[in-house]
Amino acid sequence: MLAQDPLPVSAINTTPQVQVDGLNKWFGALHVLKDIDLTIRAGTRMVVCGPSGSGKSTLIRCCNGLEPFQKGTIQLDGVALGRNARETATARRLTGMVFQSFNLFPHLTVLANCTLALRRVFLKSGREAEEIAMQHLTAVRIPEKAQAYPAQLSGGQQQRVAIARALCLNPRIMLFDEPTSALDPEMIKEVLDVMIALAKTGMTMVCVTHEMGFAREVADEIVFMDEGRIVEHAPSKDFFSAAAHPRARLFLDTILSH
Amino acid sequence: MLEIWLGILQGLGITAKVTAYGLVFAVPFALVFGVAQFLTTGLTRFLVTAVIEFWRSSAVVVLLFFFYYVLPVMGITLSALTVSALVLGLNTGGYASQAVRAGLQSLPAGQREAGMALGLSRPAILLLIELPQALVAMSPTFVNNLIQLVKATSLVSLVTLTDMTFRAKEIAQTDYDPVAIYSALLLAFFVVCYPIALAGRWLEARVNPESGTPRGI
Amino acid sequence: MGFNFDFALSTVPTIIGAIGTTLLATVLSCLGASALGFTFEMIRRGGGAPGLAVRFLIDFVRSTPVLAWLYFLYFVLPFYGIRLGAMTVGILGLSLYYSGYLAEVFKAGIDAIPKGQQEAARALSLSRRDTVVFVIAPQMLRNVAAPLGNYLVSILKATPYLAILAVPEMLGRAFDIASETYRYAEPLTVAGILFLALALMLAYGVKRIEQRLLASGRR
Repeated sequence: MLAQDPLPVSAINTTPQVQVDGLNKWFGALHVLKDIDLTIRAGTRMVVCGPSGSGKSTLIRCCNGLEPFQKGTIQLDGVALGRNARETATARRLTGMVFQSFNLFPHLTVLANCTLALRRVFLKSGREAEEIAMQHLTAVRIPEKAQAYPAQLSGGQQQRVAIARALCLNPRIMLFDEPTSALDPEMIKEVLDVMIALAKTGMTMVCVTHEMGFAREVADEIVFMDEGRIVEHAPSKDFFSAAAHPRARLFLDTILSH
Repeated sequence: MLEIWLGILQGLGITAKVTAYGLVFAVPFALVFGVAQFLTTGLTRFLVTAVIEFWRSSAVVVLLFFFYYVLPVMGITLSALTVSALVLGLNTGGYASQAVRAGLQSLPAGQREAGMALGLSRPAILLLIELPQALVAMSPTFVNNLIQLVKATSLVSLVTLTDMTFRAKEIAQTDYDPVAIYSALLLAFFVVCYPIALAGRWLEARVNPESGTPRGI
Repeated sequence: MGFNFDFALSTVPTIIGAIGTTLLATVLSCLGASALGFTFEMIRRGGGAPGLAVRFLIDFVRSTPVLAWLYFLYFVLPFYGIRLGAMTVGILGLSLYYSGYLAEVFKAGIDAIPKGQQEAARALSLSRRDTVVFVIAPQMLRNVAAPLGNYLVSILKATPYLAILAVPEMLGRAFDIASETYRYAEPLTVAGILFLALALMLAYGVKRIEQRLLASGRR
């Protein structure tokens, strides 16, 4: 897995899809994001890593408006987040989010989890919604569980359903917040395989993860965060061969040595 | 206004007396029957449960009238105070016995096993290891039971005892000012019960620090 | 005088005849208390001055006896020219009294839903209303079903309070017989047994439903 060549970069075009400028966020007195500037171009597969508490999850949660921020701007396809409710809602519809703890709706079947937003937000008919949902459930290789409830699925299966649910929104950008951290080791691969397949379709992906094997195989760019700042932002190749920042090197040594 | 307030407070003595006297019935009942339901099995447990359910699942209003009117027919004459304390006390005791049992049941089995491994007898394990933990864990529930008991004492006004509720009705007969009188009655109970509820919340925070939701009252 | 068993039996039909009133008072009070309790919890959640006011009101209601509330409504409402039947006043009183408890039930039912559920709904761009209707409410209802059932039993056991306002429910009928015949023991015994049986049956039904919900939760 590690020896493979990086994916072809031809899919990457140059329009900035996510533009973060001077982003600052505080939790009370705690300054969790400090002057973040970040440009993510369409088709980029970006991995955000860093020690826990470095602000990486908060950053991507800000990118779809789940977390409010106090200073700076975030634009998705030119639409600003956090300026007013209308624009925030428009920008959020461009994103799909996958959570660490899946957050499937336990009282709804797998299929109903996937069709809920299609019917209520995108106002599709029941049949149309189910067709779209089945398409994505097939893509994550779990169509046979459409009528099951989340509690009947393994963690890996639940997370694949969560990916399908997010894809149903037909997002321009997929955000992954530590999608494999809550999984047992034997289930991590099935989720990563789905994410790798998704990456090959050219989807813009921003993924907070500690899975460096995945990062090496899939990511075009790596962002390394520490104490609320981006301390290194480099093409994947450069990051792994010669991380410039000592903290990034230390992090890599620690995480790759086990 | 002050007169109404003082008039109602004249009944505070009876309210306190019924509560205290009621506790004399409630506490032993809750301990004995809660522990018995925890320890026994089969027919014994069924009988213990039946007694608890009689006191706990009956409507307390009906119980009070029943004992007030039926005991004399069976040749047992008790004062209104005793009947009230007995009925309200055992009703409250029935509720509290369930907390005692649940508290004992929720202890990890390892506690009893550790006691046995130390060579302690079953009664010693119960008294020295299980009950102290269960009673502390359930103490906020007991405080709630106490508040229920204080509030239920308002019923004794129906069997001629001159508690705060009775005083309110007496005053209402001579003084047509229902708004002031019954507001004062509600306030009087609030002044008695709310501090107990606050104490219960404090206890809950001590006993069960991780639960963010105060259950007081 | 002694206990006359035949006389006791003869009072059964009359007292059972009032079971409809007892059950109606129970159900309407429970609905009223649920609606009021849910509203209180929503206002409390909203915070601000109304939230604080409701928080105090709930504490106040829970610190005062139901009997005092029944007298309060029964005597104070007419003072302001509001004339309602005894049954209506009784149902209002029980609704108000139990709303304080049910507000806590709804609070616990909502708090038990993981925060991630609301976040997922937001990430899916569901509207505030759709989030409540399709995500929060169904999970809340499952969480509150069991405690709500227990309060239904509590409310049933509180309905004989309405006899004090001369509502002809089961205890009220028993007292009617007693005052006509000057025999208290028999009708009160019958009323006591009927209330106990009704409460036990209702509690059993609630427990069955609770177990079924638990089983379906494990699906």
